[in-house]
Amino acid sequence: MVDVAVIGAGQTKYGNHKLGLKGMWAEAAENAYSSVDRDFEPRQIDEAFIGSVAFGGAQLGNTAALLTEHSGLDGIPVRRVENACASSGFALRDAWMAIKSGQADIVVAGGIEKMNDLSAERKRFWLGVSGDTEWERLAGLTFPGTYALMARRHFHEHDSSHDDLVHISVKNHMHGFENEHAHIRKQVSFEKAESGFMVADPLTLYDCCPTSDGASCVILAADHVARQFTEDPVWIRSSGAASDRLALHDRPSVTQLLATQKASQAAYSAAGLTANDIDLAEVHDCFTIAELMATEDLGFADHGQGGVFAREGRGVRNEGAVCINPSGGLKSKGHPLGATGTGQAVEVFKQLRGTVEDSRQVRDAETGLTHNVGGSGATCAVHIFGRERNE
Amino acid sequence: MNEHVHWKGYLAVISNDGVFIQSPYLHGDQIVYGPDSDSTTMAIAAIQLMRYKGHIIDSIHLPESVDAQIVYLASGVDTIPHNGELEFGDIIWDLLSGDEATLVIAKTNSESYDFEEPQDVEIIDADFFHDMTEAWRLEQEMHHVSQGAYVSTSQYLEGAAARLSLTSQKVGDRMIWPPRQLDENGLRFSEDSHQLVAEAHVESWTKLSAAGAPSEFSLRAPILGGIQTLLVRFEQGPRGVFLVTDDLDYSPKIGDTVHFAVRRIYAQEGMIRYGLKAFPKR
Repeated sequence: MVDVAVIGAGQTKYGNHKLGLKGMWAEAAENAYSSVDRDFEPRQIDEAFIGSVAFGGAQLGNTAALLTEHSGLDGIPVRRVENACASSGFALRDAWMAIKSGQADIVVAGGIEKMNDLSAERKRFWLGVSGDTEWERLAGLTFPGTYALMARRHFHEHDSSHDDLVHISVKNHMHGFENEHAHIRKQVSFEKAESGFMVADPLTLYDCCPTSDGASCVILAADHVARQFTEDPVWIRSSGAASDRLALHDRPSVTQLLATQKASQAAYSAAGLTANDIDLAEVHDCFTIAELMATEDLGFADHGQGGVFAREGRGVRNEGAVCINPSGGLKSKGHPLGATGTGQAVEVFKQLRGTVEDSRQVRDAETGLTHNVGGSGATCAVHIFGRERNE
Repeated sequence: MNEHVHWKGYLAVISNDGVFIQSPYLHGDQIVYGPDSDSTTMAIAAIQLMRYKGHIIDSIHLPESVDAQIVYLASGVDTIPHNGELEFGDIIWDLLSGDEATLVIAKTNSESYDFEEPQDVEIIDADFFHDMTEAWRLEQEMHHVSQGAYVSTSQYLEGAAARLSLTSQKVGDRMIWPPRQLDENGLRFSEDSHQLVAEAHVESWTKLSAAGAPSEFSLRAPILGGIQTLLVRFEQGPRGVFLVTDDLDYSPKIGDTVHFAVRRIYAQEGMIRYGLKAFPKR
């Protein structure tokens, strides 16, 4: 079966953008096109998948058609992919499948979100639309609240603590500090991070990712055409995805994300790899507890040992066996919902090709993983990337 | 001799064939409802108390201030507004409301009511009462367009029996709540009605700051100083998430046992969404 390579990837800076949707998408696409090593024109693209929650109701219908017409992709099949915060993780998977199936040779996967030009009231509405609204919202929950319930239960079951979450926050701010695309380029001390404003007890401001504007774009190519564009492709070694009950209370465990476990097991199995083979992982840390649980669910730490993993700094760049969130993660790099999944792929593409800022390059990076979660764990897409193709 | 009890956040006085129930809050010289109570929530509590005391109530006359549909969904007690086929004379129970936050349930043939005055009335903070009353008034206006996650009237009513009376599905030995539609064989889950016992244990909890509360609570969360949600597990297995009743100063702990009472959750498009809220077992 055909192998799939990433031949180009680009994004906007995440944060508060003056640009609107069309401008941001055009910038991300332009950066992706220009990252291709040899002559490349958007007219060579066969199909496009664009992840977006359409936050605020902005261009809720036909999002992809509007954006792609402003990035030189007139006339090709396009569609918006929506799976909450995992929208572009699934757009990436759909693009990968389009090439795998033989229906397309060159496909764009991207994502976009504009979150910061809304009133605070409107923003609070849209931040909670991807849970089980009938039951969770009527119980007063938005995602900070849902993840707070997970955190407190994890502390209770596994003897983890808020200090463990603080270590994650400090690490991700340290990683993101040198990332020119990060939303919050600011290091924070342990003391500051542990005493943040309480958002949803026990989660403070320093446990929560920011709401960001941003767009990201990845260009995939089939193996038989990839070499036309680069001698240095990054291969998508596997794609795994899964879903789970939307409401936290309907799941068998509230301290594990089964969708992450299933998606990663599928991805590891298809690539013939284990967690021990991963050099760097872009993990969905919408909240610090989400990263703690992900390190367990992805197999970097044993079940219940995510707190110890964080405490001992095992995810710190070039210190532990695996670097967790070299970009700064959602916590520091930012979280423009629909753009996050392919934004993670942009980071891994650059890390594996050695083109990130020197100061934050993960040494000897051969294999990377992206982990993109929708809602509080209802959907998850995991991709494994490598310098080498699968054997 | 009357029996005085605290019941689901209200003060009740029980006689042989009736109950007087009132809000515990005094504002000036008036008994007033608490922050998430009204005549509907207190009527449901009164019916539940009467049943707890062994009375059989299948139907009842209600005052206009009480939402007959919510009473039916929460308790199964029928009323003429809800069921036009009921004969007026066949109903043997009256629920009567006073000018203040007080209700009486008594037989329709009762000639007089003789209840002692409830004890433990407390004075409600005047500013708090005023602010909450105003917030609910604004929230209930039709032109108040909530930014809240949209749960349509039909969707709310579809799940209302499960929400208000913990109606669940039984599959083998397993209880399923909230209800589900099709199983992995593509078949409908059992529609047999089973009710969970309204007692559960706290598995986790959080308190959202006023700034972090969902927008449908945005008028009231700042007045309340945030909103508190519990993740609980019922004795029969299912889990659920519930707000804590608004008038409680309660610091939850994992393992606490909680009970439930019908309360107002929020209003949208002029309709109050009622649901169960939790309070600690005393």
